[in-house]
Amino acid sequence: MDIGFSPEETRFREECRDWLHANVPAERRPPDAIDAIDFDKAWQRRLFDAGWAGINWPSEYGGRGLSIVQQVIWLEEYARAGAPWIGANFVGINHGGPTLIINASEEQKAYHLPRILKGEAIWCQGFSEPGAGSDLAGIRTKARIEGDELVVNGSKIWTSFAHVADWQELVLRTEEGSERHKGLSWVICDMHVPGITIRPIRKISGQTEFAEVFYDDVRIPLANVVGGLGNGWKVAMSTLSFERGTGFIADQVAQSREIEDLIEKARARGLIKDMRIAESLAQMRSEVAALRAMTYRNISEVMRTGQPGPEASVIRLFTSELGQRLERMAVLLMGEEMIDFAYGDDNGISDYLRGFAQTIAGGSAQIQRDIIGERLLGLPKSR
Amino acid sequence: MDLTPSEDQTAYQTATADWCRDHMPLEEARSRRPGLWSSLTEMGWIGMTAPDTGLDHATEALVFAELGRFLAPVALLSSAVGARWTGSGDKAAIALPAPDGSARLIDADGAASAVGLFDGELGSFALPGSLAAAPSLDLSATVARLDALPSIARVNDPRAVLHLRLLSAAFAIGAADAARDMATGYAKIREQFGRPIGWFQAIKHICADMAVRAAVARSQLYYAACALDAGESDAAFHVAAAKRLADQAAIDNGRANIQVHGGIGMTDEAAPHLCLKRAHLLQFIAPADMTQLLA
Ligand SMILES: Cc1cc2nc3c(=O)[nH]c(=O)nc-3n(C[C@H](O)[C@H](O)[C@H](O)COP(=O)(O)OP(=O)(O)OC[C@H]3O[C@@H](n4cnc5c(N)ncnc54)[C@H](O)[C@@H]3O)c2cc1C
Repeated sequence: MDIGFSPEETRFREECRDWLHANVPAERRPPDAIDAIDFDKAWQRRLFDAGWAGINWPSEYGGRGLSIVQQVIWLEEYARAGAPWIGANFVGINHGGPTLIINASEEQKAYHLPRILKGEAIWCQGFSEPGAGSDLAGIRTKARIEGDELVVNGSKIWTSFAHVADWQELVLRTEEGSERHKGLSWVICDMHVPGITIRPIRKISGQTEFAEVFYDDVRIPLANVVGGLGNGWKVAMSTLSFERGTGFIADQVAQSREIEDLIEKARARGLIKDMRIAESLAQMRSEVAALRAMTYRNISEVMRTGQPGPEASVIRLFTSELGQRLERMAVLLMGEEMIDFAYGDDNGISDYLRGFAQTIAGGSAQIQRDIIGERLLGLPKSR
Repeated sequence: MDLTPSEDQTAYQTATADWCRDHMPLEEARSRRPGLWSSLTEMGWIGMTAPDTGLDHATEALVFAELGRFLAPVALLSSAVGARWTGSGDKAAIALPAPDGSARLIDADGAASAVGLFDGELGSFALPGSLAAAPSLDLSATVARLDALPSIARVNDPRAVLHLRLLSAAFAIGAADAARDMATGYAKIREQFGRPIGWFQAIKHICADMAVRAAVARSQLYYAACALDAGESDAAFHVAAAKRLADQAAIDNGRANIQVHGGIGMTDEAAPHLCLKRAHLLQFIAPADMTQLLA
């Protein structure tokens, strides 16, 4: 075991740092999806042009073909530099693209991956439905096959960035009468085709960042099925393994900056003399350090075996709850200022409110605990 | 950068666990087989990181976490640290000085010296010939009192304290693991309402939280050990964080383990209380203070 980086990795880190120092935009990312979309696309394009997009993606599809360690170094420097959240590019970069890399055909990869990296194609994730959230296998949005097309009817909900997206990773019931995990397909859906209606939904933090999506005889070429018709559950699980396994590394490393900011703030306001605050900051600083260590362990595992280990759910659960504690502390330090919050504000209070999603989206904290209990500890399955 | 144990390190880990299972089962923690201490010495767990062995703290931490999992005698901590920093090759007790100038000596039976923290520095002293040892909270160890401390040989190197802190964190992680495994094992076999109790989420999620605490603390232990080996400038912080998280994991898992066991968990005869009591003892050995964590 060692925590040292090779001379090559250290050089790489310096390159990241120098470039970010010179290029991180001075203006803040606008808080709402619609207002931010041009910003998100432009920033992603700049990252791509400078060689910082898809650091560990295969080079034949526009990536750099480097290691996941270098990807993590980039993310560490990215957080340290206070660079903006990748926003609408989140799905494509963190799990849409990686799912395609593993499961898609040559043609699908060649078309989509470079567009994702360049910020030309915004992706969204159509998994959850009104009747199927935690219980993903309960999805009912279905497609019948007509010639070389799928004809889709139904609806999805909580689809982040649907109203600004170009493409969607859409999971459908493609086999009439099938149940649960069987008869599903993972499909690339063009968000601009006729029959799609999008109703944006406002969050408790004020942003309109997700949406309900209705499909009324939407036609999708059969060629857009990824991983084979009827194999949707398997492909969706690989999407989730990226979403939960490596998709949150950026959030994990961002927490190292958040805790330092909080400690500084508490010092500046003299609040660190309050033992309860000091105690809680000391605790979270230890936990943030441990989270980095866990992230390193996780990527060491990925380097060895090619995929995140079953401990990914442990990291996911821990990150989400730690993130919420950090945000809770931020508003505690703010005091009565909290009362002045109004929709449209983009500050620690909106972060705090938006942060409730961490233990709901991508598999709730309860579902993560089930997974840890059943897959890691071998307890009997309750479902 | 690689935070997973190498093949060699895994071999050390496995060999330690195998040996412990055969010679030092957790259930016997309160009365060990005769001759255990000399076997531990022969196995080389004292002085693993002595200058001539060439082993790093990372390997040692892995091995001590395994020893801790079986609630190995706590004097292994003071003896290993003593061997590295005070040149003693024998059993050393743990000294816990009190503010009034007296001290508690933990696990002093057969020890010629004691090792402890004195004003933040590692120090050692020779023990008087006869000590009146009494039972302690941790049924595997005795406690004796010294009314006044003799003169102390101090080790003028901050790494000595970090070494003791790191190894006791490793012991605590072992105890946290043991409690997690004991609870999970029981949840799989104990049936109520016609099902294993581990089927119920209320129990399953307690076990999941135990797994999270153990994994979090273990990750930080690995990082801290590597930081110490690499001479990183923030090694003291990382060791302090490891110690804090390890103690918490051991205590919280120790408590949860009793809950998962129900009535049997309340008995002296069953093992769950052994893990909890060990955890409470460890929290007093080289604790991390807040200034180190907020520095
Ligand atoms: C901000 C945000 C963004 C999102 N973005 C997307 C997206 O882009 N694409 C997408 O497909 N989905 C998205 N989601 C949806 C998300 O995946 C679901 O909200 C999540 O899976 C939970 O499903 P649900 O909302 O239907 O809640 P439910 O499943 O109804 O859960 C309600 C409560 O019951 C608990 N619960 C449910 N089942 C169990 C059980 N078996 N045992 C114990 N407790 C249980 C849950 O933990 C939760 O506390 C997003 C959600 C949020 C909040």
